Amino acid sequence: MAVSYSSSLSTFSAAAAAAAFSETKPSIGPASSQAVRFPSISSARPFIVPFTSNSPVVRNQRASFVAPRAAAESPSSTTTSPTSFHGLCYVVGDNIDTDQIIPAEYLTLVPSNPAEYEKLGSYALIGLPASYEKRFIEPNETKTKYSIVIGGENFGCGSSREHAPVALGAAGVAAVVAQSYARIFFRNSVATGEVYPLESEVRVCEECRTGDVITIELGESRLINHTTGKEYKLQPIGDAGPVIEAGGIFAYARKTGMIPQSA
Amino acid sequence: FYCTQRQRRSGSRCTHSSFRPPPFIFLGNQTSLNLFAFTVSGKKLQSFRSAERPQAMASSTIASPSASFIPTKKELGRSAFSPASSPFSVPKCRKSISKKIVSVMAPQQSERKPAATGSVKTAMTMTEKILARASEKTHLSPGENVWVDVDILMTHDVCGPGSIGIFKKEFGQNAKVWDREKIVIIPDHYIFTNDERANRNVDILRDFCAEQNIKYFYDIQDRGNFKANPDYKGVCHIALAQEGHCRPGEVLLGTDSHTCTAGAFGQFATGIGNTDAGFVMGAGKLLLKVPPTLRFVMDGEMPDYILAKDLILQIIGEISVAGATYKSMEFVGSTVESLNMEERMTLCNMVVEAGGKNGVVPADSTTFKYLEDKTSLPYEPVYSDQQARFLSEYRFDISKLEPIVAKPHSPDNRALARECKDVKIDRVYIGSCTGGKTEDFMAAAKLFVASGYKKVKVPTFLVPATQKVWMDVYSLPVPGSGGKTCSQIFEEVGCDTPASPSCGACLGGPKDTYARMNEPKVCVSTTNRNFPGRMGHKEGEIYLASPYTAAASALTGYVTDPRDFLQ
Repeated sequence: MAVSYSSSLSTFSAAAAAAAFSETKPSIGPASSQAVRFPSISSARPFIVPFTSNSPVVRNQRASFVAPRAAAESPSSTTTSPTSFHGLCYVVGDNIDTDQIIPAEYLTLVPSNPAEYEKLGSYALIGLPASYEKRFIEPNETKTKYSIVIGGENFGCGSSREHAPVALGAAGVAAVVAQSYARIFFRNSVATGEVYPLESEVRVCEECRTGDVITIELGESRLINHTTGKEYKLQPIGDAGPVIEAGGIFAYARKTGMIPQSA
Repeated sequence: FYCTQRQRRSGSRCTHSSFRPPPFIFLGNQTSLNLFAFTVSGKKLQSFRSAERPQAMASSTIASPSASFIPTKKELGRSAFSPASSPFSVPKCRKSISKKIVSVMAPQQSERKPAATGSVKTAMTMTEKILARASEKTHLSPGENVWVDVDILMTHDVCGPGSIGIFKKEFGQNAKVWDREKIVIIPDHYIFTNDERANRNVDILRDFCAEQNIKYFYDIQDRGNFKANPDYKGVCHIALAQEGHCRPGEVLLGTDSHTCTAGAFGQFATGIGNTDAGFVMGAGKLLLKVPPTLRFVMDGEMPDYILAKDLILQIIGEISVAGATYKSMEFVGSTVESLNMEERMTLCNMVVEAGGKNGVVPADSTTFKYLEDKTSLPYEPVYSDQQARFLSEYRFDISKLEPIVAKPHSPDNRALARECKDVKIDRVYIGSCTGGKTEDFMAAAKLFVASGYKKVKVPTFLVPATQKVWMDVYSLPVPGSGGKTCSQIFEEVGCDTPASPSCGACLGGPKDTYARMNEPKVCVSTTNRNFPGRMGHKEGEIYLASPYTAAASALTGYVTDPRDFLQ
């Protein structure tokens, strides 16, 4: 879905330069609301940013998939490149709501605080009922050995708490593959850049078992289960991909010149 | 009750070929009757409209001749929405009676039939119109992504600190918010607890509000006595309404999924995460995708044992927890019009439980009356065009509805209350934005009165949503009780003393939260979610119900149909 954005990009940069942001001036506020241009486009993706990046430049700049946050990288259970993930999967069912992903009692932890961000990760999926025999994170661990979560319908339903995708990302999840998502969870995943919310075409949650070895080829929208030998098609991540890869909407907006570099 | 169609979870679209409301006359029950007593004559409609419009436009906004009726006053195509360039002056709405009906359309050539003029294309639903105006577009269709100006941004103690952290990190430590009067900060979730981090989070809000000179910060410092805090309100969604921050036609975003509650005021209101909120704090705008609208038409006189909670549980049970994902839910019909504002709020509150993006109830005299003493800011309601296209339409005959519960562990696990009469329960919880408002407590109290002041058989926890609700519970007389207040009635039947207003145990919270479920129990609750662990314990079993059903269940110790006491 190529969109010609080069001309609007230059307009944007000019506008940003005209705003002449510096540390001494107030940043985006009522007086300078013109400085930030908000063009609109239409797209089929639920969450969209104004620029589509078909250029491979953005991806090639990254040697490996690095969690774009202050958090440490997940343990060597995952090897990834910008266009693929490889690791063990953890399988859950339908309607996994945010209370199961991160119970409310842990919401006193503030995600933008690095130490509390890590702590949030240690509680990821702790709300799952006892029927899930394998724990997502071992009792004495703070990170998960499963870098891919596979779910059913309506993953992430319930609350708008951004703590949900944050906890998963902080725990070491690189991608979730679900049949469908609740909208706020999907939007938060993209905005934070914490996990790739990928959509499957079939009920992958019934085809995979916790502990199966998985590869996701992002560029080809493919999931390979090495344990069963089966492959599945995924919906393309589309315009949300570059946003997540950049590390969320703010990072993406800065990278593309939509807003100036942060003070 | 009878639903004409079912939307499958797989997302198949069941669309009616065209929206054809049945003819009936709006039976206003308030002073608006004189304004809206139209006859079902297409001719009268036309002459009315041309009298309003100075230009002799073709009646392109009027439906084809077959629609020679006016289903409700909202569906007239009455649109108070005007682009900035409109020659019409749309009066700002402060009082209901003086509202003029103005329809703003691009001029059409008179020869062409409505279908060919583009009027079908330009017809919009309420949600589409609100977002169009907020993004300064003359027309929007579902699926479009637009940058929308935000009228109000709300945050609370759970998500506020995170949003503030992102705002400062991204816009700069010394950045100023886009508008200090459009951000409303309401601590409400984890307030009456000794949890240090929870208390610290309220401090973070306070520091930010001082630094930014935020106009609306409903602070609390003395946790031992909520009444000693004159600014403190309580549950954010109820506080927003009570303090006049909800206005028809506006865009309200909040860092809480139940922000959709405000749609009861005919505005676009939805929940967002910390990152989006941090963005709005700095920019005052957000990129939103325009949702298609599902229309729910509810007609029939509401039985006196049915409340709005039963209506929404019925709908969620019908379409499932993902039935409205990425969609807007519009509630119309005579039953909806008969609801007071708090009941409409209950209806819109649980839109998110169906996956909905937002819910809307068209503003009418009930809305305007409620707002009279609460806001002095001007507002302009908008209404769905008569030819607006809806993804699906569901019709309910409410007169036949029976009390509903949602069984563990999903809000769409619908059952009739009377079918669950053998379910023994351990406790009852009446509270939250969904079921802790003044009307909710009044309903519970009325049932206790009707039962002859029987004593409750299980611990019955009462958590008023806000200070105002708490005061109402202690001061308003309950009809039929000979002047007793809710609190007196609750005391007489043995309920727990009404607690300090907050979100309380609806979502569990810190371990010392009042009424938190710390052991596996069976609870009938007027709250909004019953997923595993929602109120604290993973093996807890929560039956979502109306205040009537909750009160009835308290009296028997089993899930109970309120008709056992109300009839």
